[in-house]
Amino acid sequence: MERHSSVAETPVNSVMVQRRSGSKSFRQSYRSCVGAASHLGYTPGLTTRRLTTSRRAPRSRTVTESVNPEQLSLLVKKEWQLSYVTPLHHFRHTQLRSYSRQLLAFIVAEKQQGLAVALEGAESSLKVVFSVVEGMATTDDDADTVLIQIHSKSVFASQDDPRRLVWSGWLTCINGSPDYVRSLPKDFVCLPLLCSSGAQWLTSLVKSWLERAFDCCIGSLDINSVNLQWLAALWTNCHPESNIGQLKLMWTLPVDPPLEIAFTVHPQDAWELWSSMRGQLQEEEQENEGVGEGAGDKDSVDIDEVTRFIDGLKNHFYRHFRLDLSAGTLSQVSTALGTAKHSGRIKISSSSYMNATLMLLTECALLKMPV
Amino acid sequence: MATSQNSSGPPDLDSSSPSDQSACSRSSNRSLRVAEIERRKNEAEDPFVLALKYFSDVEAGTPVTGNDDVERNLVAVERVAYSKGLPPEAISIMLEFAMSLRMGTSPCVRVLKCLIPATVVPQEAVVRAVVWLCVGKIPLSTQVLFIKWVLTMFDMIDAKDQLHSIYGFLFSFVTEENLVCVVMILLHCLRLFRVRKLLDLQSKMGRQPFLMHLLSLYKVFCPELVTLSLPSRMKAGFRNHNSQWKSALIAVQKKNSFQVTSSVSLTVRLKDKTNPRKRKHNHLEVPALSSAVNTQTNPSSSRKLVPLVQLHSFSLLLENLHHIELPAQMGSLLGSSLALQYLDCVQDESAFLRLNFWLGHALHEEFLFCSSGVSQNSEEVLQFLDRLLSSQHFLQEGFSSTEAFLYKFLNIWDGSLLRPQILGMLSNIPVVPSSCIRQLLFEPLMQLFFTSTLFFKCGLIECLNSMLLKWLTWHSVYALEDGLDISLNSHTSINMTLSGFKDSLMELVHFVGRLASVGLQIEGCHSLLLSFILDFYETVCDMFLKYGLPLVVMPPAGVFYPALFATDPVSVDRLAHIMYRYKVNLMSAKTQEKQTEQAFHISRQTYREFNHYLVVMVNCLWNSKMFQPGMGVEMEEELLVSSKVPQYWSSFDFIHHPAFLSYAVDFHHKCWPGSRNVDFNSIKHPKPWGWYLEYLYAQGFEGLKQFVQSNISRRSTAGDGQGDGLSADQR
Repeated sequence: MERHSSVAETPVNSVMVQRRSGSKSFRQSYRSCVGAASHLGYTPGLTTRRLTTSRRAPRSRTVTESVNPEQLSLLVKKEWQLSYVTPLHHFRHTQLRSYSRQLLAFIVAEKQQGLAVALEGAESSLKVVFSVVEGMATTDDDADTVLIQIHSKSVFASQDDPRRLVWSGWLTCINGSPDYVRSLPKDFVCLPLLCSSGAQWLTSLVKSWLERAFDCCIGSLDINSVNLQWLAALWTNCHPESNIGQLKLMWTLPVDPPLEIAFTVHPQDAWELWSSMRGQLQEEEQENEGVGEGAGDKDSVDIDEVTRFIDGLKNHFYRHFRLDLSAGTLSQVSTALGTAKHSGRIKISSSSYMNATLMLLTECALLKMPV
Repeated sequence: MATSQNSSGPPDLDSSSPSDQSACSRSSNRSLRVAEIERRKNEAEDPFVLALKYFSDVEAGTPVTGNDDVERNLVAVERVAYSKGLPPEAISIMLEFAMSLRMGTSPCVRVLKCLIPATVVPQEAVVRAVVWLCVGKIPLSTQVLFIKWVLTMFDMIDAKDQLHSIYGFLFSFVTEENLVCVVMILLHCLRLFRVRKLLDLQSKMGRQPFLMHLLSLYKVFCPELVTLSLPSRMKAGFRNHNSQWKSALIAVQKKNSFQVTSSVSLTVRLKDKTNPRKRKHNHLEVPALSSAVNTQTNPSSSRKLVPLVQLHSFSLLLENLHHIELPAQMGSLLGSSLALQYLDCVQDESAFLRLNFWLGHALHEEFLFCSSGVSQNSEEVLQFLDRLLSSQHFLQEGFSSTEAFLYKFLNIWDGSLLRPQILGMLSNIPVVPSSCIRQLLFEPLMQLFFTSTLFFKCGLIECLNSMLLKWLTWHSVYALEDGLDISLNSHTSINMTLSGFKDSLMELVHFVGRLASVGLQIEGCHSLLLSFILDFYETVCDMFLKYGLPLVVMPPAGVFYPALFATDPVSVDRLAHIMYRYKVNLMSAKTQEKQTEQAFHISRQTYREFNHYLVVMVNCLWNSKMFQPGMGVEMEEELLVSSKVPQYWSSFDFIHHPAFLSYAVDFHHKCWPGSRNVDFNSIKHPKPWGWYLEYLYAQGFEGLKQFVQSNISRRSTAGDGQGDGLSADQR
């Protein structure tokens, strides 16, 4: 049903493009600058509002082959707090060294309010490292992922002690909507997803530095229940290739006091329910053939399948406990592949299926873009 | 101490100044030659000139105490200084006298205090004084006083090149309070080792406020060298150097009607801390203006760019208009009035995009994403939106991010939260194409309109009126520039064509027509609402003549009849005015159509509607032929008879119309003061009818006058006295 509505919306969106451009043309004509191929003529905000109703089933090992395993190990098995970032202005992957210095000086200056800090050779127990994680991108439009690490040395440590990693974060864009990314002027770099982990004060300092240095805006990103359902389904779909452990779902029911319900499903049961949904749908698809080729594909997962899967789980729960979960909201999903929370925390435990998760999160982040 | 010494100065000077001025004005009448002689003679006797002579010639070591000459001459100088200010030569002489300590330190302080320049301070004088400073005999307090003086007068020093070359000397005076003097120089020359030295100094002396200020200036001018975050509690700026000098200077400048605009303000701009309480979310904080660190410009190839932070006056902005470097955060432009001026001529699209990202983010986070709900009317939200509105007002256009935001926000708005601000933003949105105007704008607005109070309805109609006005103004500006058809010079299909624009406009006018019809019904034809609706139609009826848009849209019956039968005469009068303007517009459109044979034309339907309304109005107000078949309002004969209203057909003419009845009674009293019975029919005779009309016009009903005069040709001698000709038959 969602699919139909989205089809109906498409023409509206395409008209929207015209509208913006139309209004721009007024400005252009009187400013008589810039040619007709203007960048302000795009309207990513409104075109990308469309929700994805069908995704590719995750494939394993796309990342593990291309990314340096050492770097990859830094990204997995850690809980990340998600934020969305508007496109970075004048960000250069070649300037990372200088950014390290600037961020360090900024942190030191903020730490000791009012004491100025020279940018060159600021002395501190902290060390900031920016690095590029190559090979994460799935399309040519995706900018390379940037990893920021802050190491610290405790006061009592001796000279030779290695610095401890106190904060890390990475900016990434995996399969970002090409319409959106291409519509941006050349001097913007679109890395809409920021994952951070570490001390809160450092997070806020890094964020405010990013905002000042690249004139971007950063806001917190939560994962709504639809996207959590997607993750549950996509992860379950991986079960035959890689054991998902247990599928754990957490619902929050709006009662007083709030009731949290944890629902753990045996992986094999989850998989069977899921594959039966898939089979069922594909049969239907074949019956009234030709409606859509995409949905019948083995590679792609449809939103209908996802909702049916979750509904099946909910029904099962209702049979046993007489509690209707549809009144509540899905607040957490976890499997052996990862854990995602409604509050925007995510932990990716296996790098194999990382891309699918990140694609979904990139999409969530792009949906938050104000323009 | 300073006040007690100088307190005698200004008062007695004030008494002398009028005589000076009058002498001036008298001499101006004479011929130049005579004036010249007079001037020379005056000069020779002028105690001021004599005093200057005395101070430049006085020998070192002359005693001060008990020396009447010194006292007298000093008073003479002070008198001039505080009344007119000292000319440059006098400044040189007095500064030289004071700093050389020819008569010791005691007159030195007094002289420094009265060094108020009339126009400029010669650079050489300052340089010489610095030389004396280096000799080192001057007591510390006097040194400080001198440096403060330089700082206060810094803008008035005529050139600064030599000062720059003695920068090193000045820098060596970096000891506590003296340090401030460096500030002025560093504005123009900065070197890396200086920063180092200051940083060293800071590590020795700790967080001295003046050091912080100096370093924060470095931060402004050399963001790539130093970074610093200022504690929020720090007071802004340096201590006021000497308010006494300043006030004296201002007084003198006022008198000379000569204003040196302070080009360099030595205050560090801090974020305005309106609210000490830290908000949980501070999306709405306008970032401080600061220069970008990561500018990618190649210093060798490109012209030197001036960061916007360094510009403090409009003239400086104009001088540097073509090589201004945008600030690190575009959002900061909203915080400064000067920057807004610049924003108006920024042609950089990514700059606008950056601004829109920031603005959209702030609005989204505050109103849409905020889980805790919108902070109700908090002071900050209000301030932010008002600032946004005034910026949009200044730029005369809305930001695209507010537009995108509004389309979403309208769906969840309750219609009361920040109503004036939201409606203000709404009225700024640019033309929406007719294909999506319904979904984006009309549907949410319709819901709000029908479920809200009368005041919201009025507010919304007013907002839509100003939106229409802006669209029309926009059209009249751009369309004229680009020729009638805007699509002509576009290379792509994405531009808005004139017909597209007309469609959108028509949609808007029809939409308001629908809102108005139903709104009037719901609110029982409330006259306040009616007034706002008539405002709207006053704009609509003149679209062709005022804005050159070949489009005439008549009001729907739901607006026309309530206005025609309104109980207040003002509404009827305004309706008459609107009908008159419609007529003028239609007539001129018709003649233009005939003359130029251009493709545009106004549909026959519009003419028909207009004629119909006109006939109704004339029949109703003038001919007393209400309820006739074929008119808009028809009723069955029997029903009318059973209502037992006598002469129901005339119940809405100028006499019996509820809005004018009281005027008719009043007129009757004036015409026939004696008669007890009010017989309205007597007014209908030709002569009193004419008088009655004049009487109505005299009450200020201009619209009625225009309407009657343009539409009704009265046969002055006609028997029944009632005009009947309809001149308006445009078909």
